[in-house]
Parts: sequence; C-alpha cells; structure tokens
Amino acid sequence: MTAHIPDGSPFAPHTTADTKSMLEALEVDTEADLFDIPADVAFDGELGIDAQSERAVRTELAEMFSQNDSLTEFMGRGHYSTYVPSIVDHLADRAEFITSYTQYQPEITQGFLQALFEYQSMLVELTGLPVANCSMYDAATALAEATLLAGRVRSTTGDTVLVPETLRAGKRAVLENYVDGSGMQIETYGMDDGNADLDSLRAIAGEETAAVYAENPTVRGTIEESLSAIADVAHDNEGLFVLGTDLLALSLLSEPASVGADVVVGEADVLGLPTSNGMGLGIFATKETFLRQVPGRLVGASEDADDRRAYTLTLQTREQHIRKERATSNICTNQAWVALRAAIHAAWLGPEGLVSLAEDSVRNAQSLAAEIDEITGYKAPVHDRHHFREFVVHTEQPAAAIAGELASEGFAVHVVGEHELQVCITDVNESAADELVAAFEEVAA
Amino acid sequence: MSFDVPEDKRYLESHEWTSTDDETVRVGITDFAQDELGDVVFVELPSVGDTVTAGETFGVVESIKAVSDLYSPVTGEVVAVNEALFDEPELVNDDPFGDGWMLEVDADDPTGHDALLSPDAYAAQIE
Amino acid sequence: MIHDQARYTHDETKREPLLSEKDQTTVEIDDDDDGPLPADLTRDSVTLPSLSEPEIARHYTRLSQMNWSIESGPYPLGSCTMKYNPKFTEDVAADPNAAIHPDRAAETVQGNLELRYRLQEYLGTIGGMDAVTLQPPAGAAGEFTGILIAKAYHEHHGNDRSEVIIPASAHGTNFATASMAGYDVVELPPGDDGRVDLEALEAAVSEDTAALMLTNPNTIGLFERDIVEIAEMVHDAGGLLYYDGANLNALLGRARPGDMGFDIMHYNVHKTFATPHGGGGPGAGPVGVVSELESYLPTPQVKQTDSGTYEEFEPERSIGKVHGFTGNWLVLIKTYAYIARLGDEGLLDASAKAVLNANYLASQLDLEIPYGPFHHEFAATSGDRDAADVAKRMLDFGVHPPTTKWPEMVPEAMLTEPTEIETKRSLDSLAEAFNRAYADTDEAIESAPSRTAATRIDQASAARNPRLSWHALEPDE
Repeated sequence: MTAHIPDGSPFAPHTTADTKSMLEALEVDTEADLFDIPADVAFDGELGIDAQSERAVRTELAEMFSQNDSLTEFMGRGHYSTYVPSIVDHLADRAEFITSYTQYQPEITQGFLQALFEYQSMLVELTGLPVANCSMYDAATALAEATLLAGRVRSTTGDTVLVPETLRAGKRAVLENYVDGSGMQIETYGMDDGNADLDSLRAIAGEETAAVYAENPTVRGTIEESLSAIADVAHDNEGLFVLGTDLLALSLLSEPASVGADVVVGEADVLGLPTSNGMGLGIFATKETFLRQVPGRLVGASEDADDRRAYTLTLQTREQHIRKERATSNICTNQAWVALRAAIHAAWLGPEGLVSLAEDSVRNAQSLAAEIDEITGYKAPVHDRHHFREFVVHTEQPAAAIAGELASEGFAVHVVGEHELQVCITDVNESAADELVAAFEEVAA
Repeated sequence: MSFDVPEDKRYLESHEWTSTDDETVRVGITDFAQDELGDVVFVELPSVGDTVTAGETFGVVESIKAVSDLYSPVTGEVVAVNEALFDEPELVNDDPFGDGWMLEVDADDPTGHDALLSPDAYAAQIE
Repeated sequence: MIHDQARYTHDETKREPLLSEKDQTTVEIDDDDDGPLPADLTRDSVTLPSLSEPEIARHYTRLSQMNWSIESGPYPLGSCTMKYNPKFTEDVAADPNAAIHPDRAAETVQGNLELRYRLQEYLGTIGGMDAVTLQPPAGAAGEFTGILIAKAYHEHHGNDRSEVIIPASAHGTNFATASMAGYDVVELPPGDDGRVDLEALEAAVSEDTAALMLTNPNTIGLFERDIVEIAEMVHDAGGLLYYDGANLNALLGRARPGDMGFDIMHYNVHKTFATPHGGGGPGAGPVGVVSELESYLPTPQVKQTDSGTYEEFEPERSIGKVHGFTGNWLVLIKTYAYIARLGDEGLLDASAKAVLNANYLASQLDLEIPYGPFHHEFAATSGDRDAADVAKRMLDFGVHPPTTKWPEMVPEAMLTEPTEIETKRSLDSLAEAFNRAYADTDEAIESAPSRTAATRIDQASAARNPRLSWHALEPDE
C-alpha cells in the first residue's frame, strides 16, 4: 500500500504514478482543477473527522457497543429474534450477493434474481396469494403501501382505512404520514379481550371503507379468531381486507387467502435477521387482480435467447423510474439482501422446521404465561386467548417498577400499560425462561 | 425509417388513428407509435358502455420500458373493445391498423372524425 | 450416473434448479389432539422444499456464482455509486452487543444511542446541515421524509402550497415522492447547457411552490453553477430547497449542500458511504435540515445530555415516523465505520479520485459526451447505436455496463460513474470494453450477450405472461 497516497482514502487504489499520468492525460495539474464549483459555495474548511486505522475504528465501536447493558431480552411487539443458523451469514455475506446492485442487467445477475424469485414463491405458498413482491422496508411501510393500494383501487368511493386501537404507535405514525398526501382517513375500531371487536368494527365500517386492517397474531400476541368475519366486513363494504402477520406465524396459522385476505403485509425478518434495533423486511402479497397496483420490485420468470428459463425484474412500468409521479410507490432501494437471508433461513428450516418452530411459539408462550401466572402479584396471560410467541402480564405493582427491577436482574421486557408488561419467548431466549420466572418471583417478593 | 400511414384513416397528434363506417368510429395507435413504444406488453381499455371524451384519456398502453396514455379522438359510448389485446398485446405491434385496434365508439358527432389530421398531415408530423 | 449437482455445475446449458425442483415436502398441521391450536385457527398444511444444509449451501453458492458484484469487476452504473464495501464494516455491524431490541429503555442502550448521536453529527458536518435524522430506510424514504418536513413547515406557517418543482432529468423517485406527499409536480425542462434554466425556473416558481428538488452535481454530473441564484429565487417565493444526495460523492469535503442554500437533504449512505447495496437493499437515507426545520424531524432524535449520557426525544413539531422503528440499523453502523475510517483526508480524496476517474475514463472513450464539465459521472451517447444493445455487448467483455437511456436529455445515454475505487488499468480495460462494444457490428450487439449465465432475456415475455413464483411455472418450463 506504500505507493498509495498516504493520507488518502484507503479504498482509492491510485498510485502516485497513475494519478500523475491520468492528470497528464487530462492536461490538468491536480484533481482540484477538474471541479467546476464556484468559489462562493466551495467549502475550504475542515470537517474535523480524524481518519483512523481499521483496528482503531473496530476498537472504538466495540467499546461503544459495550456500553449497552447486556440484558436477556424477552421482547417482541413487531421485532422478533429467532436463532439464525451460521449458514445464513456465510452464504448471504458472499460478496457476489451482498456487494451487487439491483438486477438491471439480468443476464449477469441470475443468481440473485432466482433467490428473490424463490423468496417470492415461499410467500406465495405461505399466504396462498399468487403475487408477492421481493420486499418493502418493514411491516409499517408495507401496511401503509397496502392502504394506498386500497385507496387507488377504491379511488372513487372509499377513502378510509379501519385499524385496531391496539395498532403499535410506530406503525400508526408511519401510516398517518403515508395516507396524508392521498386524502385518505384512518379510523380505529375497538378490541375485545385482545382480538378484534366485531361489533365495534361493523359500527364504523361503511361505503367509505377502502380497507380493513387486522393482525394475526395481534400486537399483544393473541391469535385472531374472527378473520373470515373481519374479511366479510371489508368485502360487504367493497373494501379490501389487509392482514398483518409474519413469516413464522404464516407457517402455522390460518392461510390468509383461505380467510379472505386481499393483501398480506408484515415482517419477514423474523427469519434470517438477528435482533437489529428494528431493521425489518416488509412482506407484500396480494391477488392477481391488483398485480398492476403492487408497489416495489417483482421478479418474474422468462426465457433467454437460447430458450432456457431465466429470471428478470418485471412489470417495471409500475415503478418510479418509469412512471414517475404516477408510480405505484416511490420505493426504489428495498431490503433485497434481508429477503435473501430470510429465504436461506426458511430453506434451512424446511416445512418441518417452520411448522415446528411455529408450534413451539404457541406452546412456549402458553407455558411461560402459566408459570408467571402462578406467582403471586401477576396474572398471565391477561387475555383469555391462544397466544403466539408473546403475551401480556398484569402486575399488581406498577409495571414500570417491575420492569426496572427485572432489568437489574438481567432481563428486558416491554412495559405496555400502567400495570401491564409484555413478554415474548422464542428459541433464542427459551433457555433462559426458568431464570426469567425466578426473576419475576424475586421481584414480586 | 418510414412508417405505414394508411390513406383510409384519420389521425391525432398523439398518434391514435380512427376509421369510420359511419355508424361507429374505430380507434387504435399508429405504426409510428407502436415502434416508439417497443414491445407492447399491456393494454388497459375502458369497458363496453363506458363513455369516452374527445381529447381525454381512455386507457393506457405499456411496453417494457414506457407507459403511454391513450387519447380519444371522439366523444361517445364504447360499443366494443378488442379483448384479444388482453391476451395478446403484441397484436398492437404486429398489426397496429388491423388486429391491433382498440375501441369502437358510437360517436356523438361522427363528423368529428373528419376534423382530425389527414394522412398527409400526420405523415408530415412524424417525418 | 452423473450426480445432479455435478451435472448442473458443469453443464452450462443447465442452470441451478429451483429449490422447489429439488424437493417439495408437504407437512400436515396436527389436528386438535396433537397440535397446540384448534384446527379452525390453523392452516391445513405447508408445502415447501425440505433440503439438507449441504444441499442449501451448494444451491446458494451456485446462485452466487451467477451474480455480478462490485468484487467481480467494474460496476460503473451512473447515479448508483457502486464503491467497494470495506469488509471490516460487516464485522463491526455484526457485533452482538449492538444487536438490541428497539424498544429497550434508553439508559440500557447508551452505546447504540452514542453511535446514533455521533453519526447524526458526522452527517450534519459533511452536508453542512444543522440536524440529521437517521430513520429513513432508503434514499426514496429520505426524500419522502424531507418533503413531509417541507409540508409541515409550510402548514405551520399557514401556507398551503401545492407544487414541487423538479428538473425533467431528476431521479424518478423525486416525482413519485412529491406525488405521494400530495403535491403536484411541476417539471422543469433542462437548459441548453444541461443545467437548470433560470428563465424556466423563474416561470415555474410561484407562491404555490413548496419546494424545488435538485441533485447537484446533476444527473449528468454537471455542477449547478447558478445554485446561489436558484436558492434565492426559490426562497424569495417562500419555497424550500431540497437536495437529492445521490451524487454527494462528487463533493465530499469540497462543497456542502448547506452552504449552497439547501434547506433539506438526504444522504444515500449505500452510495456515498460505501455500505453494500445488497442486490437492491437495504440502504439508508438519513435526512439533514437547517436549524429552522429541526423541530420537524421524525421522532425519535438522539441528544447528548449535560452529564454526557444520551437520550431520545421527540422534536416539538415532529412529522412523526417514516419507519416502524428507527431505520436500517446495521447499515447505519457501517456508515459510521466508513466515515470514521476515512476522516477528512479520506473523504476529500474519495471525491478527488471519483472525479479524476470519471474524467480519465471519459477521455479514453470513442463515444461523444455532449455535456460538461462533469464531475463523478458523465453521460456519453451511443449516437445511432442502441445504448441498451451496446451495454449488453459490454457484458461479454467482462464488465458491468453503465446506466442506459437515462437521463433522456442525452439521446441513447450511457450514464457512467466508475467511482474512486478503480485503478488506471481497470479504467483502461473498461474503456476498451466501451469502445469495442460501440464499434461492434449491429448483429453482434443485438445478439449479445453470449458469455453470461443467461443470454438475452425476453423482457416482453416476462411482462406479457407474468410468472412470479414457482407455482406459476408450467411443469416442463
């Protein structure tokens, strides 16, 4: 590396001799002569960022992250952690995948296209819907895009989306921003013991209903029992039924198509991605009727000049780079690499592994809730429902105080009400479940 | 490159053509338009019974890399749409003035057709 | 008998089969007695491939071998800034101590908050902006955030504005973003010199103007020399100036949007700061604003307290949220690591070498380049040759071609951005690939490529007959 400019970018490979001959070819003295920036807007100050060696940056960041308290998390509410097998990192981190761009030249990006086609196929299998795109940013933006799709489909009549009162605040905030420019409205229906209150839903549904949104499992971990009835409310009013779920729940719970879902949204990063501070992978699947209204990229099969099967991004006229202000969405860069990770993880689990992990999500939530319920001072689960992965605990003491004490015992849980905690169990933390129960007991005493 | 501009049709600047048998006006897009678009992959048309308005859009034609609005040359009720295009949009490329037609309209004012560009005028436009 | 895997690896007429072609296994969901749920709450069965780990390893390895990447060779896609992605950034992002749940209490995640705070500061300094949000998960999401901030600002000042002005040559996302935010788009035709035409802008700006969205250098690499006047015109009309950060790599350490009069900007960290594109994402699109707009930023922001700890807060007039949580965290860690590694000198050198490489490469091409002087990218024209065909031929010469047929102001455009990572030798071979493809026969370019995993793919067939999953394929297809 000695021939390189010592103070330059370590990733600009120019030798001094090369730079000199390139400048000579351009008949200028320095690179600065190539810039056409008027003096009054040129920046000649210092940014004040000190360059560091690779080792120094790694040390700095390792020290920074070590400031995080090391707590065993029993957390969910839309961001879940499942054990990610080593093979996912090793394959997805292959440079051919991670350092490639969007597949605008399909002839030399068949590998990624096929992987995304397979990811779409897995979602088609699990949702029962024939069209799935190759990713949205996260569940919140996927819900927002589904709502906008419903608004376009119902553009002359319906302008309202009905959402549960328990919709996670972050998701609701994103939805509000997306519908703001479309003139659509958001209305809220009530919940009954964790699940949708059909009377409340029916009371606010009407001809202006463009979409009804429900979740399975709900944000409080309950398994919805009235999906078909919710779909009927949407369809009776000529609205769409948008169902929020996740990749693992899909492997066990009612197939969305069979209960009347028109659009399925949610998180697919429950597989493939470890806990990552909320980074996601939005699912978007729908019926063929709405194919040309789908946001984001779609991979399709075709043939090459030798009549062999080949894959390509398709139906791109929906997208911003062609349709501009009339595009179905402004999305360009998506979460393709996260989709690759989820697909590898799902392939590794196979149908047996997916179903078994999903069944464990029900059983483990049930048994952990039962154990906490036995401790004086708690009632769990709060809702008399089946649960998937997580549940709400009623606390006699203020929930925030309990959570604080659990943190000093080494555990992190959600505070979801003055006297409510939420606990999530997966294969990542299940080995610590007994210790969590002991901590609950300790804290109660 | 020269494009077919049949003598028995009238034209819009936006590259639609019309022909009439006095009862209905048939509408499609020109040879020039299909060549500009490239491989047509999708055509969105109104339904029979819908009303179209002269100078306003009645549908969309898509190729792989472009989307184009379709403008109606006349005002009236749609009496037929070329449903073959839904399965074989390539007909627009293969035979734009024949099998690739799009709509038949019962025009409120059938003489409106005569006021459109003549073949010569259209040919001059695309030259 | 030849083993399947060996055959597919060595017989170039066959490709890697789909997972579903290797296996399809149906697992029935247990009924009430054995399963944890009543049958009316479960699906009947799941049919998916059931394969062993070695089979999966070979499948994806084989797929990776059919994929071009920045580590395969030159990737000079204009407006995409395909830089080398430093390996160590992957390792720092994989730190298990950073892998925390977004709902954790702030006092238990001080390390993560410190990184967010410091990255906000770094980006603010680099862009000349007073405050930065890290939440938008991509460039287009950054644009959306920025335009929502502009909208909230105008509404707060009792100013209902209905239009966003965008040059015709801008990225498609700009138009789609303005439309999603509820604005009408006013398209600005380019001036004769390829830059903003001040007279056209004068005619477009009005009291309805909410914002002008501008890329600088613009999408053919030209610096908007009249940026100060442009800013004045927009500001005098009460509008805001939005900077699309796609081309920031040209300006690192040399010019800052904040100093040019821009009020809002987004950063494409997957371009400028070398985080990997991941085959289409994830990226991140942080947004910077001037102090007057700071209170509109999405929630939460991170601040440092007097005692040196970090906490989250909701800005007073926050637009709310644009991502369910706090954005693409892993990407943000890599961004920080890249900036910290390069520092002032490295960033300044990155823009120097990016511009040197683009200019040197251009000087070696036989193709005409109608507009200049350009910076980190240039739009060559293939003239009477079809740019897409020339590009396909370049694939046969072992390089990735440039962006083609865009922007439209250059006919048969080949928008080329080699970035700072290419050596002179690499640029020379890239130029040779350009020149050979450009000079090749019609027959050769129209039938290209032939040396790739797939030959020319029938786009029309894919769109006319959409087959979007393995369920949609015919058995013999």
